[in-house]
Amino acid sequence: MPKRGEILVENIIFIVLNVLFLTILIIFLINQGNGVSTLEDAYSKEVALLIDSARPGMIMTVNMQSAMSVADKNNIPFDKVVSIKGQYVTVTLDANQSKSYQFFNDINVSGHYPERDSSGKFDGFYILAFSKKT
Amino acid sequence: MISKINKKGDKLISVYWFAILVIVAVGVVLMVNAFYGNPYDVRQIESETLADHVANCIYYGGQVNPSLLSADGVFRPDFRDNFMHMCFLNFSVEGEFTPVPYYIEVNFSSGINDFKNVFGISEGNINLRPDCYISAGNMQNLAKCTQKEFFMKSSSGKVYAVKILSVVSKVTENTNG
Repeated sequence: MPKRGEILVENIIFIVLNVLFLTILIIFLINQGNGVSTLEDAYSKEVALLIDSARPGMIMTVNMQSAMSVADKNNIPFDKVVSIKGQYVTVTLDANQSKSYQFFNDINVSGHYPERDSSGKFDGFYILAFSKKT
Repeated sequence: MISKINKKGDKLISVYWFAILVIVAVGVVLMVNAFYGNPYDVRQIESETLADHVANCIYYGGQVNPSLLSADGVFRPDFRDNFMHMCFLNFSVEGEFTPVPYYIEVNFSSGINDFKNVFGISEGNINLRPDCYISAGNMQNLAKCTQKEFFMKSSSGKVYAVKILSVVSKVTENTNG
């Protein structure tokens, strides 16, 4: 009888360690994919390419929900995440860093602001409106 | 005796099992770092977008840009002089010594079979042009190029072959190099 108990404890430890290993691995993978610099890099390039392909009169909506959750975690207001200055798009998801990417289209980005749902909260989408440069 | 051997065997399997887990973990970490450590390389898409942008500026919906050809079908040099403004392009960079990461070249040839260059436009950083003709080992550190060719028909019925070459460098933003 005592031997059976010993085997059970060993098995439990083995299973717990395996589960722990898998959990750490999954958390590591998720954190890597949602890293600040990865998201800043991806979104700054995405917005810059959208601006490059835009024509006056267009309105585009960009899904930035994963950026919103990271920005919330780092206490960055979502309406300050995307900024456009000159020919550069800058995405900021952390107070200590940001990523900029240049675009070539000489178009006026007349508006870039986060979309709000019916309750007035940000829903994770950004709106880009374009007009002709005067 | 048999149970003792089994116990030793179980422990041995456990040690090997965790050794395998460690190897797998190291492999996953290395692969993930290799994947996420490299920034997204969007230069090819960007150079294609630039070429499309210029193509649309020159010939859109079967109509030649009215600023490109005069009424008697002659290419207007003022279109070349104001190309950036006419085609809504802006390559201005931040910083005094930052090189322009773009280059665009448009060549117009007369006729369908006789490719005689009749007009040309080029803007941006011409130093990027040779990158399009180099076949080196590490192509990542070279600029990305897109070449587009199409025919355009003027209102007078004359046909021109248009060749567009667009180049985007931005090596530091798109690679680890």
